[in-house]
Amino acid sequence: MNRNLQLIWNGLIPENPIFRLALSLCPSVAVTTSVKNGLMLGLAVVFVQVFSSCTVALFRSYINPRIRIPAYVLIIALWVSVIDMILPVVSPAVYKEVALFVKLIVAFAIIISRLELFASKEPFVPSFFDGFGMGIGFLFGLCLIGAIRELSGAGTLYGFDVLGFRPLLVMILPAGGFFVIGFIMAGMNYIEYKLTGKIPSAGGAH
Amino acid sequence: MKDILKITASLTAVCVAASLILGAVYTQTEHARKEIEKAEKEEIIKSLLGFGHGHKPPADLVMHAVQRYVISDPSGKTLLGYVLPTKDGKFALVEIDLQGKPVKVLPVDATAAQLAEAATRDLAVSKALPQGAKAKYAETFYIADKGGSRFGYVLPGVTQGFKTFIELMVSLDPEFTIMGVAVEKHEEDPGLGAEITQDYFKNQFVGKTLDILAGLKVVKEPLPADYLEVLDPVKTKLAKLSPEKAKEIKQKHLKDDIYALTGATISSNALTRGVKDTVRKFVYRFDILKKAIDQEKVQAAF
Repeated sequence: MNRNLQLIWNGLIPENPIFRLALSLCPSVAVTTSVKNGLMLGLAVVFVQVFSSCTVALFRSYINPRIRIPAYVLIIALWVSVIDMILPVVSPAVYKEVALFVKLIVAFAIIISRLELFASKEPFVPSFFDGFGMGIGFLFGLCLIGAIRELSGAGTLYGFDVLGFRPLLVMILPAGGFFVIGFIMAGMNYIEYKLTGKIPSAGGAH
Repeated sequence: MKDILKITASLTAVCVAASLILGAVYTQTEHARKEIEKAEKEEIIKSLLGFGHGHKPPADLVMHAVQRYVISDPSGKTLLGYVLPTKDGKFALVEIDLQGKPVKVLPVDATAAQLAEAATRDLAVSKALPQGAKAKYAETFYIADKGGSRFGYVLPGVTQGFKTFIELMVSLDPEFTIMGVAVEKHEEDPGLGAEITQDYFKNQFVGKTLDILAGLKVVKEPLPADYLEVLDPVKTKLAKLSPEKAKEIKQKHLKDDIYALTGATISSNALTRGVKDTVRKFVYRFDILKKAIDQEKVQAAF
């Protein structure tokens, strides 16, 4: 397979930021009370991840390794602020939905971890695809968690009434987020164990 | 030693580059963002008066903005100041003391556009005041007239929510019956407290008169199914209710208390308290203002 496609696929399933790398679990529990929230935050992350990865890949030889962390934080913060300022001008309707989430991204572990592990070592093009893959992997994870929680907690999907009642209110409370992420992670590990025969290991951060 | 200088220099360079980009983007987008904010606020006000979602307001609908200031006199006394438009297209500052007695009326030299902008408005008000007096902006409420008669009022309010403040707006008809409630800003929990922004909750306030509002409570009971159908516009469409039937159900539940949101009693209480306080304070203040206008013979535009 083409390496760029491989990188995107890698971010989507084998190294999914939420379910396999176990990064940025904080936002994945906090905002995934509905599919819409998950989708909006996911989109915002895709943009910030791609822009930051590209920037770091371009300037990687100029950033002194001893100050790379503050430099990365600055780059992420810069892109978050720029998107936060430009988006309302470009598309006020979209901004109204994502405004709350865009500002949260500065503190996401997944973004800085991709800068540190990938973009600081690789050239521009692979970094772009890695950032994009990780972004849509995160988006996919958020939407999946959001769908399960919204359907079981509020009986709706993307705001449309599906069930007409609320089967499990606990699912849209914070505890429900932990349940859902835990079960999906366990399911993915089980599938991997069945396919490869190896016991999977996962990383972890907030 | 040389290393640290290099590190410092490169980190400074990163910071400078970042701040230059941020500054450039900010100045480029500032105007557009402000315009959007203003348009959004206008849309909220219009929809509160029943002209939102594509309904064009009638041509003879006139909105008058009235700003309330808290003024501290050079002598140390606290006064309330209302900046209001007059019939000749100018603006006047009506000063009222805390006992509700009008003190004096000062002309304000400004245009409507200047008064809409926070910085130029504060400047115009402090120029109108005598030397040494300090004015602090409190809020802006709107009076809507239609074809020469009073159409309604739109007033802002703030209340303590679950985590932080909830900013809301209420529209009243000439008899001070609630026409609509809007939540402008809030940080309630998504899926729980954030449901206060949903039509089926907000619309419970519509039609409540001053008397009902005074004794309004929040009850932890499920929302009756027929009431929900009337409150939620989407469900009303689905249920194909005739306007007469909808009106009848609304009338039946008019004196009901507010049905709390499941899992968000605190947020439900907060919005209810906010609406009650906002309306009560406005009715009290507006009564005093009206008397002061009559006494001082101010030619108010409304």
